Amino acid sequence: MKDIALTEDQRDCLQELINVAMGRASDKLARYLQTFVHLQVPYIELIDSQALPERFAENYAEEGVSLVSQGFYGERGILGESLLIYKSHDAHGIAEILGYEPDDISEVEQLTDISSILTTTFLNGLAEQIDNQLAYSAPRIVSSVDTPLEQHLEQLSFNWDLALKVDISYQVTDYSFNCDMVLLIPGEAIVNIQAVLDQILDEF
Amino acid sequence: MQLSDIHSLILQRINSGVLIVDADINLVYFNRFMESHSQLKSEDVIGQSLFDTFPDAPEKWLKRKIQSVLMLNSPAFSSWEQRQYVFRMRHARPVTTSSEFMAQDITFIPVCNQQSNEVEQVCIVIDDVTDVFFYQEKLKDTLAKLEQVSRMDGLTQVANRRFWEERFKIEFASAVRHQNPLSLIMFDMDKFKQVNDIYGHQGGDLVLVEATRLVQSMLRKEDLLGRYGGEEFGLILPNTGGKGALELAERIRKAFQVHPMKFKEHVIHATMSVGVCELDNNFKKYEDLVTRADLALYQSKRDGRNRTTLYRK
Repeated sequence: MKDIALTEDQRDCLQELINVAMGRASDKLARYLQTFVHLQVPYIELIDSQALPERFAENYAEEGVSLVSQGFYGERGILGESLLIYKSHDAHGIAEILGYEPDDISEVEQLTDISSILTTTFLNGLAEQIDNQLAYSAPRIVSSVDTPLEQHLEQLSFNWDLALKVDISYQVTDYSFNCDMVLLIPGEAIVNIQAVLDQILDEF
Repeated sequence: MQLSDIHSLILQRINSGVLIVDADINLVYFNRFMESHSQLKSEDVIGQSLFDTFPDAPEKWLKRKIQSVLMLNSPAFSSWEQRQYVFRMRHARPVTTSSEFMAQDITFIPVCNQQSNEVEQVCIVIDDVTDVFFYQEKLKDTLAKLEQVSRMDGLTQVANRRFWEERFKIEFASAVRHQNPLSLIMFDMDKFKQVNDIYGHQGGDLVLVEATRLVQSMLRKEDLLGRYGGEEFGLILPNTGGKGALELAERIRKAFQVHPMKFKEHVIHATMSVGVCELDNNFKKYEDLVTRADLALYQSKRDGRNRTTLYRK
């Protein structure tokens, strides 16, 4: 499994699909949330499972971070996990963004709700383009300010070596809210994504 | 059997609640699981508002949730961990679990019009996770008990040395930072070996249990008694100066010497020697208090036992 690599064409194709999905997501979110959601240009890489805890530690070392995970799976062996990462000082006003009264909803539920909305709107946009139907597991809080992220990840032993990793940052400037989305498509599923990308490239 | 018949059979028999609402949040489908657990009849609720059917449900939150499914064409979720239940219903294990209402994991699924691909309805699937909820609560209780046990001395039920030292460290730091008084009393049973030799270890154990019970009854809530080792105990007294600590130590010592302990056909009389030390500006760590209270305690032993000594520089 270690010798998987994305060709330049595959990477460009994926980048293009993601850009379009981001545009669609941004549009839908703006209508539902009635505020503009800015998505930053994604970063795509293949990452070794052993390097993952360290990479998270680098990016989110000093601050209190909450992480919400949501699994997704579709046809033709497409599956993965979407991780939404919130630095505690960035995750403001989620209840207001979602249109809830702060009393309606606990802090944890605010995180799972906004995570699910960001993940599913983006991934549905991606799935539409590759003619796929995705289903989702319920969003779960993996780590919160009390249980550090890298500590959690270090305790896991992954059953995959390599994952396709896509980083996207979300900003809601009206509410000074930021968060990061990390899509991880592990192991075999990378090959399945590659097959889908090759098919699109062939038809082009 | 037709496939559509099989589908409706499954929907009726499945062990999950399935209900469907239209864009105005009126009910268009209500499966048998919902009927039995809510004790409502399908024909009475179809066409009715979801909120009239479940008046206890959190209306504003649910509306926004359903709206997100309709507008974004994507699923939404609710977990028992954040909301034990949304639709108040009985569950199927009233005998062997303790919660009154069904704990629920809920999925809101968009249902699209085949032609226009617009979301027209929302399907709400309710999973009964009362079991999960119940076992999670039990786990929480067990963990709390374990934590309690890991802090206590098994015999005397006062703090064990590890927990006592942990707390002492915190009390010491806080007293130094806020310039508050802090004192330590160390006490040790007199001629404990003799007690063990005469009455056996069970007799000795009884003395330790009785002594700690007596001391415990004379303390404030913030004081912490711990078993330091063998027959030696430490008593942390926050916000207490040397004078106050010495007074308490004497009260304890005097109360104990007139505290007869019944053991089988015997009555055991025992005494304790006590050392007291108060926090001084020169102390760098909590151990400095322990060493000095110990010195005072040994002074009490040398002076003939059953007495209290306040450490003086």
